[in-house]
Amino acid sequence: MDLDRRDFLKVSTAACAGLGLSGCVLKKLIESEEAEAPWPPGPESWVASVCQQCPGGCGIQVRVIDGTAVKIDGLPFHPVNRGRLCAVGQAGLQVLYDPDRIKGPMRRMGGRGSSNWQSLSWDEAIRLVAEKLAEIRRRDESHTVAILAGQPRGLMDRLLARFLDAYGSPNYIRNSCDGTAKAVLLTQGIDTLVGYDLEHSNFILSFGYSLVEAGWSPVLAHRIYGYLRQERPGVKAKIVQVEPRLSMTGARSDQWIPITPGTDGALALGLAYVIVREGLYDKRFVEEQTFGFEDWQDGSGASHLGFKSLLLKAYQLEEVSTITGVPVETIIRLAKEFAREKPAVALAERGASMHTNGLYTRMAIHCLNALVGSINVPGGVVLSEEVPLTPWPPVEGDALGLKGRLMPRIDHAGTSRFPIASHVFSQVPRSILRQDPYPINVLFLYYTNPIHSAPDAMGFAKAFEKVPFIVSFSPFMDESAQQADLILPDHTYLERWQDDPVNPMMKYPVLGIRRPVVKPSYDTRNTGDVIIGIAKAIGGKVAAAFAWDDFEGILKDAAKGIFHAGGTLFTAPFEEAQVKSLEERGWRPPRYKSFDEFWDQLVERGGWWDPAYQFVGGRRLFKTVSGKFEFYSQHLRRTLERVAAGKPVSELLRELKVTAREDQAYLPHYEPARFIGEAKDYPFYLNTFKSATYAGSRGASQPHLQEISRLPIGLPWDSWVEINPQAAKGLGIADGDWVWVESPLGKLKTRARLYPGAMPDVVNMPVGQGHKAYGRWAKGRGENPNRILGEERDSLAGFTAWYATRVKLSKA
Amino acid sequence: MARWGMVIDLDKCDGCQACVVACRVENNVPVVGPEQTEMGRAISWIEVLSVIEGEYPHVKIRFIPRPCMHCDRPPCTAVCPTGATYKNDEGLVAQIYPRCIGCRYCTNACPYTVKFFNWFKPEWPPQVHGFNPDVAIRPVGVVEKCTFCHHRLQKAKEQAKIEKRELREEDYVPACVQTCPTKAMYFGDLDDPESTVSRLSRSTRAFRLLEELGTEPKVYYLSEGEWYGGHKG
Amino acid sequence: MGDIRDSHESDLALFQPILQTGRWFTITAGALGAVVAWAIFAWLYQLTHGLGVTGLNRPIYWGLYITNFVFFIGISHAGTLISAILRLCQAEWRRAITRSAEVITVLVLFFGVGNVVLDLGRPDRALYVLWYGNPRSPLLWDVTSIATYLTASTIYLYLPLIPDIALLRDRVPKWRGLYRLLALGWTGSERQHRRLETAISIMAVIVIPIAVSVHTVVSWVFAMTIQPMWHSTIFGPYFVVGAIFSGIAALIIAMAIIRRAYHLEDYLKPVHFNNLGLLLLVMSLLWFYFTFAEHLTTYYGGEPREMAVFSAKLFGKYAPFFWAMVVTNFVVPLVILSNRRTRTVAGTVVASASVTVGMWLERLTIVVPSLANPRLPYARGLYMPTWVEWSMMAGFFSMFILLYMCFTKLFPIVSIWEIREGREKGLAETRERIESYLPPGEGVSRE
Repeated sequence: MDLDRRDFLKVSTAACAGLGLSGCVLKKLIESEEAEAPWPPGPESWVASVCQQCPGGCGIQVRVIDGTAVKIDGLPFHPVNRGRLCAVGQAGLQVLYDPDRIKGPMRRMGGRGSSNWQSLSWDEAIRLVAEKLAEIRRRDESHTVAILAGQPRGLMDRLLARFLDAYGSPNYIRNSCDGTAKAVLLTQGIDTLVGYDLEHSNFILSFGYSLVEAGWSPVLAHRIYGYLRQERPGVKAKIVQVEPRLSMTGARSDQWIPITPGTDGALALGLAYVIVREGLYDKRFVEEQTFGFEDWQDGSGASHLGFKSLLLKAYQLEEVSTITGVPVETIIRLAKEFAREKPAVALAERGASMHTNGLYTRMAIHCLNALVGSINVPGGVVLSEEVPLTPWPPVEGDALGLKGRLMPRIDHAGTSRFPIASHVFSQVPRSILRQDPYPINVLFLYYTNPIHSAPDAMGFAKAFEKVPFIVSFSPFMDESAQQADLILPDHTYLERWQDDPVNPMMKYPVLGIRRPVVKPSYDTRNTGDVIIGIAKAIGGKVAAAFAWDDFEGILKDAAKGIFHAGGTLFTAPFEEAQVKSLEERGWRPPRYKSFDEFWDQLVERGGWWDPAYQFVGGRRLFKTVSGKFEFYSQHLRRTLERVAAGKPVSELLRELKVTAREDQAYLPHYEPARFIGEAKDYPFYLNTFKSATYAGSRGASQPHLQEISRLPIGLPWDSWVEINPQAAKGLGIADGDWVWVESPLGKLKTRARLYPGAMPDVVNMPVGQGHKAYGRWAKGRGENPNRILGEERDSLAGFTAWYATRVKLSKA
Repeated sequence: MARWGMVIDLDKCDGCQACVVACRVENNVPVVGPEQTEMGRAISWIEVLSVIEGEYPHVKIRFIPRPCMHCDRPPCTAVCPTGATYKNDEGLVAQIYPRCIGCRYCTNACPYTVKFFNWFKPEWPPQVHGFNPDVAIRPVGVVEKCTFCHHRLQKAKEQAKIEKRELREEDYVPACVQTCPTKAMYFGDLDDPESTVSRLSRSTRAFRLLEELGTEPKVYYLSEGEWYGGHKG
Repeated sequence: MGDIRDSHESDLALFQPILQTGRWFTITAGALGAVVAWAIFAWLYQLTHGLGVTGLNRPIYWGLYITNFVFFIGISHAGTLISAILRLCQAEWRRAITRSAEVITVLVLFFGVGNVVLDLGRPDRALYVLWYGNPRSPLLWDVTSIATYLTASTIYLYLPLIPDIALLRDRVPKWRGLYRLLALGWTGSERQHRRLETAISIMAVIVIPIAVSVHTVVSWVFAMTIQPMWHSTIFGPYFVVGAIFSGIAALIIAMAIIRRAYHLEDYLKPVHFNNLGLLLLVMSLLWFYFTFAEHLTTYYGGEPREMAVFSAKLFGKYAPFFWAMVVTNFVVPLVILSNRRTRTVAGTVVASASVTVGMWLERLTIVVPSLANPRLPYARGLYMPTWVEWSMMAGFFSMFILLYMCFTKLFPIVSIWEIREGREKGLAETRERIESYLPPGEGVSRE
């Protein structure tokens, strides 16, 4: 094992000599006299770290020569990616060496959006922020400070929240897309993302889950895909993809089922109908471990509607077929396969559920797993343990802090407006503009660029004008940073310390350690350090909440927890099996003499994990009122009753635009989705999608990602709109034509691609292009469909309804 | 002497293009920019092509990663007037950039269209330093192509020599194969009957592109279904 | 052999272009020079920026330059090959036209080679073809055969020039040094004449296989690859036929211009145009036969990759070029030249102009569609030549005309001594030869 590790993590001095030698040979062989010699090879090393091009959390090893990073590869022993890395991860050096990075702290002179920037020192910058915050605090308005966070990985999330806790504001607002967590909350009582043991599934039914493109962990999904296709001994898993656009995932599935946007919930219930009517459900699981399947009576003797009755009453197949556009035979066949090919698992992601009916849709899909007993079994829904980090002491806080913390949030999450939501990012612009419930004085932007990447981007732009002071931590001059008053540029992910726990998809707790692989190129600073610095500058109880010197200190401290917890550092599969078998017998061998030794090894190997998984112990998975999986969500009922605050729940439901009443509202059911634009004026649904090679909206600054093909039919360096060939014919649009895509909110011009994987009444546009800023490679390429999306969201959970806008097309 | 070859399992490939980017970074492949890309001048030593078949709603899409085939009988090397492209001792089709006169005869003779030309002085993404020092930077006006990361073989050989041992098959892996997230790509010695590539190349799913031309490509594909352009179908 | 001094007055018209230069000549030369200068600018532009300034791309790696290369090399067959055949056949009517034909060959070969150099990504390394030559490459065969042809046809042009240069040396007051040097001490003695005739005859024999080899090898540049519709066994003869075809057309045009510009109506007579017109007609038919055979075979075989190119040529993006080619190479010459009344000077010139355009289109529709439709149908390109390529093309044509004009200012474009020889000896010889064909009979005397 030692030998292997040495192989991967360190190149011996002999290898360095070898490199020099082979360099010479190569030079002779292929280098031309006029070809510029790159530079003389110097000392070389491979440094382990964690990728952050997406939330997947893959381990990376970076080849560093003479202090310069020259190649990123997958970290061989990281359990997520096992040495593999995707296109986006491979392109990471172009983030590090982007010539348009912000080189140091900057203050804007002149009006909002002016590009007159003045450099200042970090001390000045931190003092400036601290003074501002202290002054607001003195005015007793600490709650008017808000943080918008896009991708706060690991402890950064807790750090930012803790900062506002100590300072005195409830307004830590995350741009979360953890929609399934809410379905799990309603049915299992835990507000977290669950994992899926896909490697052992025989049937994967995915509702718009772009597993291999922009899912939670693309490389893990790729690995599983490859494994399921040709490596797994025995049964080959079947993959069925339900979605309006034939995505890459759909393309490589066994079957693609096109579905009318916003009706996935109806299909899931139609499948449930077949499974129940034919008696194909897992009777033992449903009887023993679920609640609300049959009609039931509560303590007061009142009888309530059960899931079964609802299904049989309201989800006749003809009706489901009409709603979804999926033929009856397909529904029946799919339902039977799903119930029989055990273990089967149903997944939902963005595609299916980012509609106004998203929560109920996810709930319906998640209930399919319970129906076939795929909860906490191999090949089904699993739930990993938390990474056992050292817990933080609670924030003591002063009176001001406590008072501010208890003020209502500006996004109204968890109130009667959005009863099930934790964060309602898309509500922010409206709240700011209407000062609802109060104005915002200071806004921090961490890892988010809503002026480009949020729907209603224009709303954010307008709202930003109303905020007196905006601080951005962005290392890049993106559209939102341009509107900031102060930029405190973070390091890129290859230059900073950070922990990266892997939540979704995995069965096991995994913690990757992101460490600086090269010295920071510019005068940038880890935002964690900056936050601690600001807290310390404010002083008092705010400073006291941060006992650490810097973020590296936080990390080291947190790691003490895992030092004591057992588990193992990233190791070869052979060793993993050993640890697993030992742990299953109750052994926790201490492998390191001291914490320092452990820490050094942790950093060098890139992380820690605990490969043992317990399929027993259902209680861990069901923290509901009944202690069981709840088809009938008592959590939802109690929450609604609580936030209704005395008024009838039916009235609250009406305000929330939920059509269901009484028991039906607590059961998974189909709510028709609302759309912006009338079908007669705007005949097409606009379906936006993320591409596999794009890293959300961030990839546009990386020319390697811009230049490669956009599979299956897109245009490099550009955006496009995918139209069904028959529909295009009707409009006289040919492949490659320039077309106008117009919604009630505006229009944009882009090129048409005729794609048989587009439904006749749905057009698809990729997100990520159309930047107005963000560096030379990104600026002015293609169009940003977010520009013409309307502002709609799920009523209960506040999910952004990305797909709620209708459009019309015309030849430009 | 090993006969280095590649096997790509099309049943596992989901078109993620990790191989494409890994190759670009590893081999200092220049960025040509949007206008040049639009003209069809982007350079991609390995390229993932998509084949869309059928009409809505019965659509099938397949992806096919296409590196240089490193033919045992390469049509490109024969026509090169200066011997700038040639089959080297390792059996790999190599390219001597300083000898290439840029006539592009080899690009036209290659039935797989895998050779690329530097139309302008190559520009790189702003990796001010981030080049791979093991790979030569190409000047304007020469042809370049996939080398199976030949420089890695050189290094592996040196390493083996230093460690006083034989070269092992796993010592030498091209960047695309190393990163492939679905593990759809395999690399090794086709002459070693025990090797994975050799075993897979004999699989019933195996075929080679345009095998009928007699170019003897050393890249094998695996597919259960029919394949357009290959022997299957 | 008579005394040159005595009889030169009668051929004054042939000396006239050398002795006097008209205003039109200067204007035309100026205009052509300007185009050439512009082309040189375009060339420098291409040299500094790289081949990216062309419209070429992947997979259409070859375009206008290679089209022009094949076209020019084709034209080069005008000359030497035709003149050699006519000479060997002792066709008496050749005497007035051989020189103008041979000049075309020599000049145009340079432009053919020039186009290849232009097309190189690294023209600075052009000589590597010699240092590192790979004998398996058809391009190397090309280099060899073109170099040989260039040498042979230069000698073949030069040899019949010697007596005329001597004539000029003695008669013309300009360029004395040059003429003296080039005349190689020609005195016009019987011995010199005999030797010259022998040398010319040998060269005429040698130059024919070389010329045939040149365009065969050019065709092999394409045919040796396995690309659809390039990999064809008939490409060799097909290209040679096309070359002679376009060569004759170019010759007719050149002759017509010379005739008009220098008032040589007495030397270049309608019969010359008539005879060459007939030759052109024959070549047109032959060309059509080859084209038909080539495309029918492809179509009948129906191999999908071949058919992709076939369809693109006949019905797709390249159809306008293809059908224009059929019209200009076959329909137009057939209509004009098969009718004696239209086979006039003007008629043959129109037909020739048509064929010149047509043969250029033929080269284009051979080079581009195959590249645009490679075997693996994934890389697809559109080719639109840029201003640089058009400029270079215009430059080459202008340069060719300009150099041709300059030649006529230095040397007689109609071989004076051969004309005279024809007058003096040809008649008798021809009569004798014709008589030798015939059986003895009445009115035919055998001495």
